[in-house]
Amino acid sequence: MRAYGADLYRFAYWLCRDRHAAEDLVQEACLRAWRSWPELRDLSQAKAWLMIIVRNEHARSYSRRRNETNLDDMHENELPSMPSFEAGLETAEVVRQLPENYREPLLLQVLGGFSCAEIAGMLGTTAGAIMTRLTRARQALRQQYTDSAKRRTGR
Amino acid sequence: MNCLEFRREKLADPRRLPPETQAHASGCPACAAFAREVDESERALDRALIVPVPDGLVDRILFQSRRPRRAWRAWALAASILIAVALGFSLWDGSKNANEYARLAIEHVVMEPESFAVTRNPDPEAFRTLVQNLGGSVKDLPGKIRYIRLCPFEDGLGWHVVFETPEGLATLFLVPGKKPRAAQAASVDGWSAVVHPIERGYYAIVTASSDATSRFRQMLRDCIVWSA
Repeated sequence: MRAYGADLYRFAYWLCRDRHAAEDLVQEACLRAWRSWPELRDLSQAKAWLMIIVRNEHARSYSRRRNETNLDDMHENELPSMPSFEAGLETAEVVRQLPENYREPLLLQVLGGFSCAEIAGMLGTTAGAIMTRLTRARQALRQQYTDSAKRRTGR
Repeated sequence: MNCLEFRREKLADPRRLPPETQAHASGCPACAAFAREVDESERALDRALIVPVPDGLVDRILFQSRRPRRAWRAWALAASILIAVALGFSLWDGSKNANEYARLAIEHVVMEPESFAVTRNPDPEAFRTLVQNLGGSVKDLPGKIRYIRLCPFEDGLGWHVVFETPEGLATLFLVPGKKPRAAQAASVDGWSAVVHPIERGYYAIVTASSDATSRFRQMLRDCIVWSA
């Protein structure tokens, strides 16, 4: 737990976007993990196992946002674009605005360090689907970064 | 490996590209530049995601010293549901188009009660930039900024800003794009809203009384000049 506490908290924070709720979420997930500990057969999978418990706890505790969209039907250019803002906040806002099906694999990859195949296994889908979601998520980030850079350089 | 395949792989997992994929960029200046751009946005992503972890979090979890549940959260949720239901009934009448923007602004505030409970991105410079992007100029702030968030609106995205003023909290929405033809006002269950079209969209003010809304509207006129 000491090894993964920070990653679990950050993962929870970016799922629910509330620091108090994130702490509650991690606590609940750890309680659940403690009770289910015998089910973990491979200790090397502990981090992935814990992150999925956090994810499931989040899904159980928080109703899905009312504007949730079916991501597989979304076209790339329908991803959120950003009005002007300071660069750091822009990135955070783009992450916040990403639909959950895009945000989850991005968080698992960046915070958890998992590969597309590992994330696919965790989320119960194919590596190809995860690659598509990650590609689209990063296109939104890249668009924001490019726009910011243009504004900063006045071009 | 062609350029499209490289870019797809780079966007899908930029930190663990196989050697054969990396080799493509070394012989393709355009993809090398693309890769540098993606790496730069990855660094920005890292900086954004590494939020501070509360002190003692792990110890609290390990020793099960759980904080008491915040009862106010349950009450806030219950209250917001009640208000939302009340609003739903009050909005369900034949005159919904006359002041639709103002009513939706009130509904937005009611549906996002955390905007009054948390501090988020309270950056005056960011606010100035937002106003500037909508064709305005900020001479002074109409209060202390507590909350700035990009939110979904009916026809796209807009900014949700909460100010702390001597009169209490005031919500300002800055929404680019589609706008009402004329100013609108609405009062629903104690909430009061006014909406004004501006050159590049509209802004809306919501407070807990019509007097406070009028006063904040005047403060905003004194503090922000909008282009005609």
